[in-house]
Amino acid sequence: MFTRFSDIDRLFGTMDLLRQRLDNMSTDYNRPYRSTWLMEDGFLRANLYQSGDAFEMRLEVPGMDKDALDIKIQGNYLEISGKRDHNVPDGYKVHKTERLNGTFSRSFTLPDDVDSARVEATLKDGVLYLTLPKSEAAKPRQISIS
Amino acid sequence: MDKNTEIAKRDDRNIEKTRELYEAAPAVDIYENEDEILLVADMPGVTKEEVSVNIDNGRLALSGIRKLETGGVASWEEFGNVEFVRNFSVPQTIDVENVKAELKNGVLTLHMPKSEKAKPRQIEIKTA
Repeated sequence: MFTRFSDIDRLFGTMDLLRQRLDNMSTDYNRPYRSTWLMEDGFLRANLYQSGDAFEMRLEVPGMDKDALDIKIQGNYLEISGKRDHNVPDGYKVHKTERLNGTFSRSFTLPDDVDSARVEATLKDGVLYLTLPKSEAAKPRQISIS
Repeated sequence: MDKNTEIAKRDDRNIEKTRELYEAAPAVDIYENEDEILLVADMPGVTKEEVSVNIDNGRLALSGIRKLETGGVASWEEFGNVEFVRNFSVPQTIDVENVKAELKNGVLTLHMPKSEKAKPRQIEIKTA
């Protein structure tokens, strides 16, 4: 029986410790780290935020140039694809390669249609920020009481 | 004394901790040639100010803190604020003075040159 919230917090703290130990164990055995507790593949993780008339998306795209990314929008369908090319530098021998290399693609179905003409995308510190204004029909409307 | 008061009593003695940042290990590539060891780590969302690279007595500690600004209500969140932490042991022959670190697009590149005496030397064979 928990009597305080701190009890629950402590329980999760212990679980976090276990997870860290497990993560360290897998890197000890030379296997790449994958956030197995969240997703199968650790690349292109995404966050979606909603405000009244727009969606905000954040995607992890470390080391990607803007030319290497491809964003497609149609109605409420969003597709992000790209290619990450980092070949072994010349004359180097390889000890570890854990970072994803090659092409990737991920598609999303947004909760509402977006106005594709006014979508803005910026790339900062390896995170892609997308601002997707909702289309006129999907915007919330104030109803006045007569 | 009934059970409830006993639990409450025990709880009072526990210290409440502040919330700690979730730790994650970044994916890294490690390459080596005759002159240097090259380490590349993915740390999306980490700014230059929040990265620390420490080499001490053969131990390389990488740390990068990601602080993201949030906007609106989250519909789904697959990543958040996190501290990227990873430690490696590096040979003592690394020339610590000349280690170069570079952060670009959320990727940390670390050039660790080998000291002169650790480099392989070509031995010339003289004909008698």
